[in-house]
Amino acid sequence: MRAGQGDRSAPQSAAMRARLWLIVVAGVLAAAGAAWLAAHAPPGRPTEPGPVLELLVGASLLGCGLASWWTRPENRLGQIMVGTGFAWFAAQLVNASTPWLNTIGLAVQSVWIIGLVYLLLSFPSGRLKGRLDRWLVVGGAVAGFGLQVVAMLYGNKAGLRCSGCENNLIQVFHDNQKALNWLGLQRLVGIVVIVAVIVLVVVRWLRASAPQRRAVAPVLVGGSATLAALGWTVIFDLLGDPLGSLPANVYYAMTATVPVAILYVFLQRRLARGMVAGLVVELGAPSASVDLREALARALGDPSLDLAFWFPAERCYVDAEGTAVRIPSEDPERRATFVERDGHPIAALLHDPVLEDNAELVQSVCAAASLALENERLQAELRARLIELQASRARLVEATDAERRRIERDLHDGTQQRLVQIAMTLGLLEAKLPEQAAPVQPLVRETREALSLALQELRELTHGIAPPLLVERGLAIALDELCRRAALPAHLDVAIDRRLPEQIESAAYFMASEALTNAAKHSHGSEVRLNAAYDGRLLTLQIADDGIGGAATTSGSGLRGLADRIEALGGHFTLSSPPGRGTMLRAEIPCA
Amino acid sequence: MRVALADDAVLLREGLARLLQEAGFEIAGLAADADELLALIERNRPDVAIIDIRMPPTHTDEGLRAAKVIRGRWPEIGLLVLSQHVNPRYALELLSTGTDGVGYLLKERVSDVEELSASVNRIGHGGSVLDPAVVGELVGRRRPGENPLEHLTDREREVLALMAEGRSNRAIAERLFVTEHTVEKHVKSIFGSLRLPQSPDDHRRVLAVVTYLNSQ
Repeated sequence: MRAGQGDRSAPQSAAMRARLWLIVVAGVLAAAGAAWLAAHAPPGRPTEPGPVLELLVGASLLGCGLASWWTRPENRLGQIMVGTGFAWFAAQLVNASTPWLNTIGLAVQSVWIIGLVYLLLSFPSGRLKGRLDRWLVVGGAVAGFGLQVVAMLYGNKAGLRCSGCENNLIQVFHDNQKALNWLGLQRLVGIVVIVAVIVLVVVRWLRASAPQRRAVAPVLVGGSATLAALGWTVIFDLLGDPLGSLPANVYYAMTATVPVAILYVFLQRRLARGMVAGLVVELGAPSASVDLREALARALGDPSLDLAFWFPAERCYVDAEGTAVRIPSEDPERRATFVERDGHPIAALLHDPVLEDNAELVQSVCAAASLALENERLQAELRARLIELQASRARLVEATDAERRRIERDLHDGTQQRLVQIAMTLGLLEAKLPEQAAPVQPLVRETREALSLALQELRELTHGIAPPLLVERGLAIALDELCRRAALPAHLDVAIDRRLPEQIESAAYFMASEALTNAAKHSHGSEVRLNAAYDGRLLTLQIADDGIGGAATTSGSGLRGLADRIEALGGHFTLSSPPGRGTMLRAEIPCA
Repeated sequence: MRVALADDAVLLREGLARLLQEAGFEIAGLAADADELLALIERNRPDVAIIDIRMPPTHTDEGLRAAKVIRGRWPEIGLLVLSQHVNPRYALELLSTGTDGVGYLLKERVSDVEELSASVNRIGHGGSVLDPAVVGELVGRRRPGENPLEHLTDREREVLALMAEGRSNRAIAERLFVTEHTVEKHVKSIFGSLRLPQSPDDHRRVLAVVTYLNSQ
């Protein structure tokens, strides 16, 4: 389904209003005529309803048909009902005493049943759903009209089982037996079509989702019962009407309920459409607290409604939080309606399939909410971009960490090893120097000491890049070691009972390290307190000194870098450094 | 004295073997990782095993773990762990398995053949060796509150560090060009100042001193 903005104007135009009034007038005339005919039925005519039942069924069909036409002009069901209503009244012509009217009456006696079959099969969309549906309607037409006319080509009033009828004007052959045979075939085809329609309707009912069942229940129950009653009537007819006109009257009475049921369902939906007005008011309210999804779900009557917003950067849909969502395409339980604005996709409504039968409601809602949806989409896009940004920052930190470890490894396995090897050879050389080479001894020693210094510097460098203890033993132990080595006396309180992800451990470690260095260099304090705790969800690290305060993240790039690192991991970094009251750094890093 | 070597860097391993041979040690075998070393020790039972702390497969602290395993299975074998990092914690972990015949040295110490062979000999004879850099770090630590080390004289601090390195009174006396008797006096004074129980022999006092230095 695709819903655009304002691609549907107000349905009830003046021309249509005039047309419907014309139909009302025609309907009143037809009803009056039919009632008169029903009241003056000559004896020996087919079992037709009395004037009251006649008016009831016809008025129900016409009235409900007009009302449906009015409320749902795009849905063919209203027109079909109106047509069926006229066919119903036309069937009363069988009671006319003018021969040609009587002949027409005989021919169209059962045409309205075709309408009934069409109504049931096409409800609620007004469109037949497949080939089987179309064949059943054709079957209904063959039984309700085709075979009747064929029988009329053969039989006179006796052959047509209408002893009180006028002479049949379209009789060509004179073979009453053949006419009776054709009528028998007509009854047979009719029964088959009726049973098939009932079965089909029941199967559809069983396959429908719960909201769908609720929506169409009145019509399906009423319609199936009516068809069943028709079936019994036909069977009794074949048996020679042992119960008189009772089965037919029951069946006629039930027929009257079908249009009412259809109108009822339509009106219920019209009530839902009334919600759109409420929606517009609600969304127009200045408060930002309106939950768009809630409001739309209420207006559409589908609590399961979900919203997805178009995220152009990734060409995908995201939820309100900015997380990517999948649009169901194969799922029989869910449908997506795409909302566009100025030709660009903005959102998708994910809803129950039942709403597909009420497309114009969905469209009205989409149109009413499109501005709000666009606003919400912009926010979702912002969130999605933030999520992306966050992910890319985290990837950067991760890459940096990996690079640090690689450099440390390279230095350890390469340069450091080679220097050690040189030192070793030098040692061997020194040991092997002959007595007479004593004057060069100090030179060798000097070289060895310089080498030792180089190794020491290299050691400190690699330690700064990726402390082996952190990698090998984890944050708790590395922090302990850090505090022991700190230039200012450091109290440590650590409650971390497990290894945490590498980049989190490393971010926390370097923050502690930088904070301890800063405290020693700038705070003029006498000691530092370091607290680290992990509660299964959040790693909290706090370093506080008792120095002069006045530190800021802008002043030292070290602190800014720490904050960036922590925030890249989705953490929260705070610095509190009031002049004269010490400096406190605090980081909270989520890690489940 | 028979020495086994474990280091995954071939050049270092071979070089060290040559160095030790020159210094008069017998090489009981060379290993490239912890598993090879354990098999080697099982077979040859050396007097001392010299182990690089970082070896395959994880290149972290395999050597230290192998040393603990050896200590558990063959307590009589001396252990010298070599590291490229000054890591007091690992040194203490090693010492805590028993101070008899263990040592922790920076890898670069192999350049001083004399010191190296002295260390290996000391370990082979049940003594302990702790790298001066590690001891230096332990002694140099800032401690919250009152620091008893500040009450020691410079000479006493020197003696303390040499004790921590695992040296005997005689070795300390030689180093500082004083008599053994003078060293004994310093030691007594140090133990008094630090309120440590009067220490037993040269070997066992290492742990007492180092544990003291490591405590906050």
